[in-house]
Amino acid sequence: MSDASGRELALDVRGLTTEFRINGRWYPAVRDVSFALKRNETLALVGESGCGKSITALSIMGLVPKANGRVAAGQVLLDGRNLLALSEQQMEKIRGGAIAMIFQEPMTSLNPVLPIGFQVAEALRYHTDLSESEAKARALELLQHVKIPSAARRITDYPHQFSGGMRQRVMIAIALACNPRVILADEPTTALDVTIQAQVLALLAELKAETGLAMIFITHNLGVVASIADRVAVMYAGDIVELAEVGELFRRPTHPYTEALLASIPRVDRDAGDLKPIPGQVPPITAMPAGCRYADRCPLREPRCTQESPPLSPLADSAEHFARCWVRAGTGGSAA
Amino acid sequence: MSGVLLDVQGLSKSFTVRRGFMGGALATVHALNGVSFSIGPGEAFGLVGESGCGKSTAGRAILRLIEADSGTVLFKGESVFAADTGALRRLRRQMQIVFQDPYSSLNPRRTINQTLSEPMRVHGMGSSTEIREAVHAVLGEVGMPSDAAGKYPHEFSGGQRQRIGIARALVLQPELVVADEPVSALDVSIQAQILVLLRNLQQKRNLSFVFISHDLGVVRHFCRSVAVMYLGRIVERGPIPGIFDEPLHPYTRALRNASPVPDPAAKVTMAKLEGEVASALAPPSGCHFHPRCPHATEICRQVYPPWTELGSGRGVACHLYPPEPTGAAPS
Repeated sequence: MSDASGRELALDVRGLTTEFRINGRWYPAVRDVSFALKRNETLALVGESGCGKSITALSIMGLVPKANGRVAAGQVLLDGRNLLALSEQQMEKIRGGAIAMIFQEPMTSLNPVLPIGFQVAEALRYHTDLSESEAKARALELLQHVKIPSAARRITDYPHQFSGGMRQRVMIAIALACNPRVILADEPTTALDVTIQAQVLALLAELKAETGLAMIFITHNLGVVASIADRVAVMYAGDIVELAEVGELFRRPTHPYTEALLASIPRVDRDAGDLKPIPGQVPPITAMPAGCRYADRCPLREPRCTQESPPLSPLADSAEHFARCWVRAGTGGSAA
Repeated sequence: MSGVLLDVQGLSKSFTVRRGFMGGALATVHALNGVSFSIGPGEAFGLVGESGCGKSTAGRAILRLIEADSGTVLFKGESVFAADTGALRRLRRQMQIVFQDPYSSLNPRRTINQTLSEPMRVHGMGSSTEIREAVHAVLGEVGMPSDAAGKYPHEFSGGQRQRIGIARALVLQPELVVADEPVSALDVSIQAQILVLLRNLQQKRNLSFVFISHDLGVVRHFCRSVAVMYLGRIVERGPIPGIFDEPLHPYTRALRNASPVPDPAAKVTMAKLEGEVASALAPPSGCHFHPRCPHATEICRQVYPPWTELGSGRGVACHLYPPEPTGAAPS
């Protein structure tokens, strides 16, 4: 599989819609989300609480809670295979194998009563034919690879003996264990202090450059996006509202939400004058408006915006920069 | 700025914790060690640092929500630590706190009206009619509809709850607010709304703030000066933006460089700081920062650097900046 530019596709998500049942009715939390992830590429999914960025990741992994959630439409293609059509047993081989996940909370996603070396080796034992001693040796290599100091001595330590940053390194080692092609990292540095966050981001960037793996990096922090992403998808109320190469997105934020989000960040590197907060709130999932979901808060609102939902369209002068806006993208008007 | 509203000198606090198997061994954590700063009326003063640096402990010790081991806190010249019960109650009316977590800091079983009127009743501020009017006024001031008074916390979003938390602090007409990570739990668009609200309230009421945060961007926006803390001590203090544009202490510089900026061109400056914050249980000898410091020399490993005032409110504790020789001593 490859895209138009001939670069190999690692993962292709098409028309993903995931719904949740609230009081007997189904409401989409993620709506018609499509993106293609290339090898050696980091795509950031960025947005505020409830925008659907984590649900997108859970849908790709087949981890949407079945009690009140369902993937209602779409395909997730890995090497031409649609993951959404696989059985639970088949998905278990994919998770931690071809696709690995790193979670936000390194405190709770490791087992507190097992040594960390065992937990890294466990992934190898499950997904590969390695013997116990081979798996152990490989686990040590992995821990050294993610730069755990004196890994040989600490391999028998328990999670509580590690700091938050070191635990996240262990999580990354587990994720890397089976040479995944894709890593889904869900707010992997949010719980860490900034100096430790910088170390973990540097490690992830280094590993990506080394192995050529593709990464979906979920975060709410546009500063982190700027330092790690190659491309960015901005999500709002379940939709991708803008998709562009990282430099382009920050240079020329085109969807009014992206623009407003950037204007509402207090920056350490400059006096931005007065902050410009976005008025109002995200509409609740049970009461989404008919037209553009951002229309209520948008200063550029036109009558059409409250009636028809805009498509994610390329800008007039760039085929690689998309925005979901009648006013600024596609056929609705001139591009910004 | 005229005069000093809050003067903190030599604030220290240590905690005893149980360590080891089944909590058999005792150990001492020096959460605060000789912290000093002062704040003028209407001034916003920031305390920044990473987890465990003692910034929240400092905020609580100032209000005597925890008892400090040593040091003095003077509010308008009156000692907070020497105050008896009655005097402390009067002081507390003028010194209030806003907490980080808008979910756990409001009582879920009380209406907003009950939450906001209780402090006024405790302090005997007016009849029930006057209290009701004051509650409605303060709700309006923080941008909440007046019908919010009859509702419960679960009916509000995180941003609205934080507005209610701010209203609770303001209802007593305080002069100083200790704001402990007041916007850290909020999404950026909501965070900006709350920061603008706090700024407006500050200007309207001439409020002073001790603003505790780990986010340098937020502090740069809201505060006029800031103290950077590391393992219980202030390592650098100075006016904003100078301290962020030209940090002196290697830790301030590292913190500044590690703070993400929404600009892809800035990512090259994400020079990483080696190592991790040491345990407060066993802080390194000499300067606590020396194991991570690129400029560390022999003296840094042995002697904690003295505090050096550099003029115009700037000060640093680092051997790279030795104190000016005083008096007429030959250089």
